[in-house]
Amino acid sequence: MINNDKWISSLPNKNSKNYEESATIDHKKWIDTIPKDTIPKDTIPRDAIPRKETYNSFKKYSLMTVVFVCGLIIVSVVKNQTRNLEKEINYLESSIDLIEFNLKQAILDNEVITSPENLSKLAKEYLNEDFVYYKKSQIRNLNNGNEIYKKKKEKIKTKTLNNLSVDIKNKISKKIKTKKEEIEKLQELYENPKKIPVEIRKKVSKQIEEKKFELKNLYQSPGEVITLERIGRWSIVQVFKAFLGIPILPGR
Amino acid sequence: MKRKKKGFYFEDYKESKIIEKNIYTKILKISFKRVTFLSFVFLSLLIICSIKIIYLSLSTEKNFYSQNYKKNFLKNRRDIVDRNGIILASEVNLYDVGIKPKLLNDKEKKNLIIKLSLLFPDLNIAKIKKKISKNNFFWLGRRLTPQEKDQLWLTGNKSFEFNERPSRIYPQRNLFSHVLGQTDDINDGISGIEKSFNKELKKIEKIKTPLSLTLDSNLQYLIRKELIRAHKDFQSIGSAAVLMDINNGEILSLVSLPDYDLNQRISLKSEFYINKITLGVYELGSVFKTFAIAAALEDKIINPNTVFDNLENSLTCDKYIIREHDKLPKKLNTEQILVRSSNIGAVRIAQKIGVEKYRNFLNSLDLLSTINFDLEEIGTPLPFKWGKCKLATTSYGHGITTTPLQLANAYAILANGGYKIEPSLLRKEKEVLKKKKKIISEKTSNEIKTMLRKVVSLNEGTANFANIEGYEVAGKTGTAVKYNSKEKLNTFISIFPASRPMYVLLVMLDEPKPAPNFVYNFPPSEKFPKGYKYKGEKRNTAGWNTVVVAGKIIEKIGPILAINSLQASNNFLNVFGQSN
Repeated sequence: MINNDKWISSLPNKNSKNYEESATIDHKKWIDTIPKDTIPKDTIPRDAIPRKETYNSFKKYSLMTVVFVCGLIIVSVVKNQTRNLEKEINYLESSIDLIEFNLKQAILDNEVITSPENLSKLAKEYLNEDFVYYKKSQIRNLNNGNEIYKKKKEKIKTKTLNNLSVDIKNKISKKIKTKKEEIEKLQELYENPKKIPVEIRKKVSKQIEEKKFELKNLYQSPGEVITLERIGRWSIVQVFKAFLGIPILPGR
Repeated sequence: MKRKKKGFYFEDYKESKIIEKNIYTKILKISFKRVTFLSFVFLSLLIICSIKIIYLSLSTEKNFYSQNYKKNFLKNRRDIVDRNGIILASEVNLYDVGIKPKLLNDKEKKNLIIKLSLLFPDLNIAKIKKKISKNNFFWLGRRLTPQEKDQLWLTGNKSFEFNERPSRIYPQRNLFSHVLGQTDDINDGISGIEKSFNKELKKIEKIKTPLSLTLDSNLQYLIRKELIRAHKDFQSIGSAAVLMDINNGEILSLVSLPDYDLNQRISLKSEFYINKITLGVYELGSVFKTFAIAAALEDKIINPNTVFDNLENSLTCDKYIIREHDKLPKKLNTEQILVRSSNIGAVRIAQKIGVEKYRNFLNSLDLLSTINFDLEEIGTPLPFKWGKCKLATTSYGHGITTTPLQLANAYAILANGGYKIEPSLLRKEKEVLKKKKKIISEKTSNEIKTMLRKVVSLNEGTANFANIEGYEVAGKTGTAVKYNSKEKLNTFISIFPASRPMYVLLVMLDEPKPAPNFVYNFPPSEKFPKGYKYKGEKRNTAGWNTVVVAGKIIEKIGPILAINSLQASNNFLNVFGQSN
């Protein structure tokens, strides 16, 4: 017969708790060694303690670092771009400053050149006339002093007449005389129409009557007045005019 | 053996497991430590980098390149402009050029001297030769223009050292020397506006907006030109003039001769170069008679027609003998006392007022104390003990001192209806006179204006030469004999146009001489409707020189002032028209 105790007692630390603990079968220990996927869910005892998922925190931190690193990269990219923009702005600003600086220099030059002292020096050198200060009494308003204006005008007239040569004066006076005589004759004829010869009077009266008749016809039946013959005549005259270079429709 | 084997089996299994476990745990522990260490290093690097990135992202500082580039265009001081925006003072970059003779051998030194003498013929070559031979560094020139610097630079000489620095320049040169003042080598104001507004001129937030003054370059030029001409005509040793707006105290022109070119940077020690208008304290003579009469009129002791009988030709008070400047009638009224400038008449009026009232009146016009002004160069009237004799002498402007600026201000108060104003060089918004303190009544002001007009317009007046047609000049002459000297200090203070006063002009000539060769143009009168010319005058009182100069000034500045005030008068007419 095999004496169990004998064998057991031969084992070291048989009384220790650890040994007992190690000797007892721990099914959980065994289960844990098997890959999780191969264990059918029904075989896991109900009182089996769920294993701690230690990989979760690792995931969290790694994810955070990835996000952080990505953020850093994005920030650096954005910063780089803004830096480029900033450089461009600075360049533009400095070019504006340069232009402003040049403008200021130009204004300064202008101030020196146009200073009252310089201007009066230049005026002395290049202007022939010296500036004169007029008193108030020397300046007259033309609107209020019409008489002075008229007198001045008359003076100018007489001056211009005096300056003309004798021949021109005689010619002008002759022309004036003839024009005056013509006007007088016309006035006389207008005042006494009986003095006009009978033939001329008849001709004129005929012409007046004819024109009156034409105007009457035109007013009463305008369609009859514009005949084909007339249009033909008018068109021939216009063609001739065009051929000779005379304007077809006289300008008004 | 079996036993051993069996035992070995169990023990081997267990021990191997334990050993394995221990080894793994040890390895794991070591590797974990390494990993944590490495991760710590990486993490700390990451944190450092991220901190740097965050810092750069948040920093508002611009990059070095742009800052350095911008430096060339930055100004240290604001520009100063006149009322029309004309630049009176500005800042430019100039160059100091030094020479390091140690860098040159003898041949190169000779070459340099030849080149310098060709480029700058005005240089003292002998002096430069000496300095070069000493082999020590020296400044060849300071405040050189960029063109001059380029000329030197193009010689290609290695011994030149250029030092760029901002420097103040004044395009109008002498025109505003007493007002603008100067700056030192480090661009700080040492006199004039440059000093009194040093902080204001250095304000970085306002660096692009210029400091606007009330002065007018054109008026200043015309007045200065006339004063220079007067200096030739009347042989005066100095002169001064101030033009002021009587409604707000704005100074349109302030000239004091002799003056100096601000760009030359000369250190001046002579008292002739002081600002005679603000710093000079003088006895100004008969111009004070107006104050005695104004005080009496304000107190209703007299009226313009009050007659003074038995006016002696001379009076004695203690050791003082008071005389008339000319033979005058013994019976004069108040108006005639002012028009004919009677000393005895003024004494009589002052005696009627009394010491206390007269002193208070002069104090109310700011004539006896230091005045508030925009310049630091401001004089203080000399103090004195009041008494009966002092009252008598002060009534006609002797034994009492003040600055010409204070005198002009006091006349402005008398002419503007009695409202207190303060002279100013800085442009302000239009102030409403009615809100200000009243010194005299409107009635007294009008009476004084009428009397002052008669001083100029009447034949017996002392200021006929200033009766410029169209400008209604009113004013008062003042001839004072200088202390411990026989020479005179002549003043004429004018207000124009008298019917609606706008400006006060003070002209002062220091030690004018009689001008027998000067041709005086007498204005038209009843006897001489076209006026007449006169030569050979031996008197040198204010009426024969200062008044003439003031008349010429008004004749020339009048049109400019009229144009400037045209807009204002149009507005006035519009308002007047609407109200009607």
